[in-house]
Amino acid sequence: MAEIGRVRIRVPSSIKQGDIVKVRVLVIHPMEIVQRKDGKAVDKNYHFINRVIVTYLDREVAQFETSQSVSENPFFTFSFKATEPGVLRITFLDTHGGKYEGTADVKFS
Amino acid sequence: MQRRLSKAEITRREVLRALGALGLSGLLAPGLGAPRPASAQGSLASLGPEEPVDATMKRLFGGRPIKDGTASIKLDLPLIAENGAVVPISVDVEAPMTPQNHVKAIYIISDRNRRPLNAKFNLTPAMGQAYVGTNLRLGESTEVRAVVEMSDGTLLQAKREVKVTVGGCGG
Repeated sequence: MAEIGRVRIRVPSSIKQGDIVKVRVLVIHPMEIVQRKDGKAVDKNYHFINRVIVTYLDREVAQFETSQSVSENPFFTFSFKATEPGVLRITFLDTHGGKYEGTADVKFS
Repeated sequence: MQRRLSKAEITRREVLRALGALGLSGLLAPGLGAPRPASAQGSLASLGPEEPVDATMKRLFGGRPIKDGTASIKLDLPLIAENGAVVPISVDVEAPMTPQNHVKAIYIISDRNRRPLNAKFNLTPAMGQAYVGTNLRLGESTEVRAVVEMSDGTLLQAKREVKVTVGGCGG
């Protein structure tokens, strides 16, 4: 739990302008699953990430709506088109109001 | 590939504050989380409904026709998943990703999970390529489908059967 919300982003080390870049991102999060008692779901505020927002140069590139069917410590890959040097920011929102952010600098070599 | 660790702009103070808040909610939770029937209006409502996959498809897409997209959708999934808790999946759609013609959304639906809609990826042309991947939890052997919604409203679908040795939903 201590590490909850730590975000790791991995982008290729050399990016050229105009490249389509594949990004891998991982966040430490329990992604609680529904507990059951006598076959019925226990009603409580489960703690899991339900939204992931990707912005690049402060513009939204993608938004993911996730559920408990995504594994613990969720991992996502996606691509984006590197048009200008800038910041790629990935924000994770969870059901308990948590907000976790990770950024990566996009630089051209 | 060089690993770049992003520490974000998180200060120690913020981390401690966040942890404190978590600890508090943990203490309060036992009272709030008393078992109640699943039908009660509660935070379970924030989850997707438990329903058979046909109901999910109807809820999401209504009666819109879904075309076979096997030719343009590359759905990458293991044939056999030993651990249902972590099943890697990736979806790659052949699409120009121009503002006129791009993939608007990718739905990942696993037929036999209690809540079949696993994830919805909303994409924009700025991605350059319609490619997403993640890890899924699958309760049992199931068909997993990727439904792709194009910007003009066309729906395409590709599906694959996955054999799951040990279920990953734990109920």
